[in-house]
Amino acid sequence: MISRRGLFTAAAGVGATAVLASCGRLSGEQTAAAPAPAAGPIFFGVSAPLSGASAEYGKIWRTGFDLALDEINGAGGVKGRKIELLWEDTQSDQKQSVPVAQKFAGDSRILAELGDFASPASMAASPVYEKAHLVQFGFTNSHPDFTKGGEYMWSTSTTQQDHAPELADLAKSLGTKQAVYYINTDWGKTTWKLYEEHAKKSGYEIVHSEAVQADGSDFRPSLINGRDKGADVLVFIAYYQAAALLTQQAKNVGLAQAKIALPSSAYSPQYVALGGEATEGAQLIVRFHPGDPRPQVREFVDKYQKRYGKQPDDFGAGAYDALKILAWAVEHSDGTREGVRKALLEGKEIPSLLYGPFSFREDRRVTTPKSTRLVVKGGAFTLVGA
Amino acid sequence: MTVLEVQGLRRSFAGLRAVDGVSFGIDQGEVVSVIGPNGSGKTTALNLVSGVLRPDEGRVLFQGRDVTGLRPERLAEAGLSRTFQNGRVFGNLSVAENVLIGLTPTLRAARPLARWRDIPVLRWLSLLAETAVALVDPPSVRRELAEREAEVESQLDRFGDRLRPRAEAAAHTLSYANRRRTEIARALASGPALLVLDEPTAGMNPVETAEVLEQLLALKAAGQTILLVEHKIDLVMRLSDRVLVLDAGTVIASGPPDEVRNDPRVIEAYLGKRRPAVRP
Amino acid sequence: MLDTALAGLVNGSSYALLALGLSLIFGVANVINFAHASVFAVGAMSGWWFSVDLGWPLWTVLLGVMAVTGLLGLVINLVAVTPLAKAPPIAALLSTFAVSVVVDNGAQLVFGPETRRFPALLATDNLGLGGLRFGTLDVTILAVAIGLMLVLGWFLRATRYGRAIRAVAQDRDAAAQMGIPLARVQNLAFVVASVLGGVAGVLGGMYLNNISPTVGSTVGMSAFAAATLGGLGSLPGAVAGGLLLGVVEAFGVSWWGGNARTLITFAVLLLVLWVRPSGLFGKRSPLAAEPMTGTFFGAARTVRLRPWQVAVAAVAAYVVPAVALDDYTVQIGVQVVVYAILALSLTLVSGQAGQISLGQAAPLAIGAYTSALLTTGTGLDFWLSLPISGLVAAVLSVALVSPSWRLRGHYVSIATLATGLLVAAAAVNFDWLTNGPSGVSAIPPPTLFGAPVSAPLAVYFLDLTILLVVLLLVVRLRRSTLGRIWSAIREDEVAARSSGIAAAEYKSLAFGIGGFVAGIGGALFAQQYGYIDPSVFGISVSLLALTIVVLGGLNSPLGAVVGAIVLVGLPEALRMLEETRMLTYGLLLLAVVLFRPQGLMGKVAR
Repeated sequence: MISRRGLFTAAAGVGATAVLASCGRLSGEQTAAAPAPAAGPIFFGVSAPLSGASAEYGKIWRTGFDLALDEINGAGGVKGRKIELLWEDTQSDQKQSVPVAQKFAGDSRILAELGDFASPASMAASPVYEKAHLVQFGFTNSHPDFTKGGEYMWSTSTTQQDHAPELADLAKSLGTKQAVYYINTDWGKTTWKLYEEHAKKSGYEIVHSEAVQADGSDFRPSLINGRDKGADVLVFIAYYQAAALLTQQAKNVGLAQAKIALPSSAYSPQYVALGGEATEGAQLIVRFHPGDPRPQVREFVDKYQKRYGKQPDDFGAGAYDALKILAWAVEHSDGTREGVRKALLEGKEIPSLLYGPFSFREDRRVTTPKSTRLVVKGGAFTLVGA
Repeated sequence: MTVLEVQGLRRSFAGLRAVDGVSFGIDQGEVVSVIGPNGSGKTTALNLVSGVLRPDEGRVLFQGRDVTGLRPERLAEAGLSRTFQNGRVFGNLSVAENVLIGLTPTLRAARPLARWRDIPVLRWLSLLAETAVALVDPPSVRRELAEREAEVESQLDRFGDRLRPRAEAAAHTLSYANRRRTEIARALASGPALLVLDEPTAGMNPVETAEVLEQLLALKAAGQTILLVEHKIDLVMRLSDRVLVLDAGTVIASGPPDEVRNDPRVIEAYLGKRRPAVRP
Repeated sequence: MLDTALAGLVNGSSYALLALGLSLIFGVANVINFAHASVFAVGAMSGWWFSVDLGWPLWTVLLGVMAVTGLLGLVINLVAVTPLAKAPPIAALLSTFAVSVVVDNGAQLVFGPETRRFPALLATDNLGLGGLRFGTLDVTILAVAIGLMLVLGWFLRATRYGRAIRAVAQDRDAAAQMGIPLARVQNLAFVVASVLGGVAGVLGGMYLNNISPTVGSTVGMSAFAAATLGGLGSLPGAVAGGLLLGVVEAFGVSWWGGNARTLITFAVLLLVLWVRPSGLFGKRSPLAAEPMTGTFFGAARTVRLRPWQVAVAAVAAYVVPAVALDDYTVQIGVQVVVYAILALSLTLVSGQAGQISLGQAAPLAIGAYTSALLTTGTGLDFWLSLPISGLVAAVLSVALVSPSWRLRGHYVSIATLATGLLVAAAAVNFDWLTNGPSGVSAIPPPTLFGAPVSAPLAVYFLDLTILLVVLLLVVRLRRSTLGRIWSAIREDEVAARSSGIAAAEYKSLAFGIGGFVAGIGGALFAQQYGYIDPSVFGISVSLLALTIVVLGGLNSPLGAVVGAIVLVGLPEALRMLEETRMLTYGLLLLAVVLFRPQGLMGKVAR
């Protein structure tokens, strides 16, 4: 019978040996994925919420991705190879996005990654992608710090830095006394901070501001506050779900006359569908809208409408565009992970649904054209003044 | 010497006076029984004495010290042990462990700095020291544990071969009578100055009851002071030095067993009021 | 003022209807029904389907929803509660939680995850009374809610089955001896409660305008608070608690902003419990009931491993990942290890000392934030921040839970649940300290011998070593005098105190040590991700930790590790299922609780 102490010493010894034996993996400088196979389909990983509270955004992504895939693969694919997506559900939760990143990083077939939906989930996973030299294309990650995570973090999302001042200007054009409600997520708070900065500089009057719960359902007490302070324009820094709720409940508490200003993340046919009549007259600033006369937009909207029986929103268009951009990058690369990054870095005149031919800035983001203003009229989004 | 002195104890539940001005005393080596019909407030009185309930009014003096409203664990440490009406054992612990728990107040090495327990923030030093001792398990603690385990054996011996063979069995596997024995052994383990027993033979058959009576008589002979609540009058009569009769929360009679047995008020309380015609 | 109060009342009537159901079920079955919030969501979703897709008028919509949710309630009882009647109550709590995962994700698959508009079946802004604006809808919601409560009151008082429900709620055993058919009464209670929950879903849907399959979660948590506030098992208490909470929330939000809603809800709940440990209307017996043997624990004994088996497992835990597993699997291993540490902290609190905690995410969050803020803010070395994190988590755990020592049984669980939610809400609201919802980013990895520990395998080795130390610590504590004292408190607190054990102090100590261990886990958690925000420490983490412990066998330290491997590994193993992943996970969870309520590492006593 071996003594307990002896056993533990032996265990520690074997453990230490294992540690030493795996020294290479411990430093973890480069996970050195095997070279990508040169034949067969090209894979992109998608880290997305397919279940949980944000599942509907994952579903919208799928519409945009599927449309883009059909186009690309229908035309013979990239470099003669088909593109396929590997979906992983993360519920947009960083506890899950990190292992998913690890999974993608270790899968040598994957040339680039799309997502995650929420910036925190993406940012938690960034170090893994950075180490694996795998492009993380966070096309909805508007957090200013996202692309600061490393050389491999890229995004076509507008940043809040561009967006927030435009929103404040929109609100100013609608009324004099602003009440601003922002959801209590990282995105909502960052946008509000930038909004407030700009509003102060420009001398706009904000009579009330308040953080509201992103997944909240009853906003009446908060809205009553704004009403009692005499707000004549309401700004809802929120996604379309909460924005629709806020819009309706504002009407319920007697704010029927106040104008409403919204950011592009509220832009979705769903906003009107959910908010009903109360949304009439609400104004938004958007980077994309289906009424855009540019031919590539008309073509995309027609196709989307035909396939899904509804108009695309910002998330659907963004997903479509992101996949097309990555496919372009693979086409213009040597077929390696590093090559994809290089193509994005050196690409001029990258074709894009949202931005026309463009190139990435040094901070791996896009210089977004000035936003378009839309108004809800007769239950549909129309260009202001049209 | 008076071990327990109870003065004017009162306690109500939702307006109902369960105990209404009870006073009595117990001397060293005495066995005092409390009897009375169901709902007369016996168990409540015990709970008030042992600190499980706080009295609305009145005082409890234990060994000359005012212990009114003191928490039960403090009373137990001071030397007042009790058992419960339905037999509360620690079901998933073994019989031996149950008795070992009864020895907790006697532990020194395993519970360092116990004096500091009463001082609000500083009590944490004692608790942390206890944790450290538990983690390190020094020889002093092991020695103490071995001593206490020997004591447990001798406590179990008290009940002959009832508990010894089952010492390692979980308490929830025991028969009802053996649970009561385990509980009594646990209460006696720390060598209490006063043993409070709440219906120790409830649910036992005559043979088992007789056995418990023998054991209690042996305890009494050894000088153990006992406060007993019991329904079985025979047992009370044979064991008690004095008997207290409670009815509707008040003491209606007290004295030596024979005297109380013939007290008309007691008979009335137990058998109901006599018809007025019979009254003188 | 008045309209804020009205908004609160209308919203509160949803809480009240849900709380009524929770209280009814609690009274009859002695179970905290975590699936009740899902019933609300199903009520809302099926109401939407009846009115929008099928075009039914309001009254048929209500009838249809009552039928659907009534049936759902029956199924919940038959599948998840009745089979566990003889198992410890904690098993039924977890099985209803599993059902809620199944129902929520099932509804998402059936109806699609989208948020949708609940048709305004009634006007919302057509009435006025002295400057107060409201609609037929508000009046209807209040009227229907109050009407239903009156009908329920009548039903319970005047009908045979109603009286049977009350009798069972008062004394289950006595009722059974009087010939009341317990099974049927319990079925009925679930049906009635779920019918109310379904109606609440429709009314809530109309009031909130928009619904989604996950709409139940926020309303559900407030309903828990409302039911407890009023006193679990008390029906007038549920109504009063619901309306009161609605109004308090409305004014709280009005004064401190919508951000503070969760903070207000659970701070109010805790304060009320501290002053009135059984809620506003709850009856409290002056003496805790004498527990039947093994009330909280199945009569299970722990499977014991021999030292050589443990040693082999420990060595394998080091060697196998290094040699045979890729980084992705090792990354999962890191999560398993951190959850195992969290679960071990609960093994002490819940398994050893018997205090069922539904809020162990609180010390995890406190430890994570302490370490993150110290290493990023002051540049403190990770190794120094590690014990400090544990210490801060321990002290705050004790401070937050200690006012709850007067609480018993389920109230302890609810108080810890509230504490967990409160800490997460505080992390959202205390911007100046925690950076609010933005969280703390760029948390540096620890260094060891000058090299950063950041590769998955390195992190895994580090965390595993700490896990083994914690495991050793927990095992030693369990075998000590202290462990025996905790066991006594778990088995019967009254008897333990009468044996000279200062129960409150030892419970504090258990929460303190548990908090320390969880705090250490939190620090590891923070450095593992390099980024934390309040959403990471939600109720699901607390529930997962408890599920791990129960699954492993409440009182088995090794079981906590095995439970972590199974429950953290399972969702990863189910990845290929994509959209149906969480549904399957819920079903498997339910199956495990149903078929092994004593836990994987618990052996049934002969």
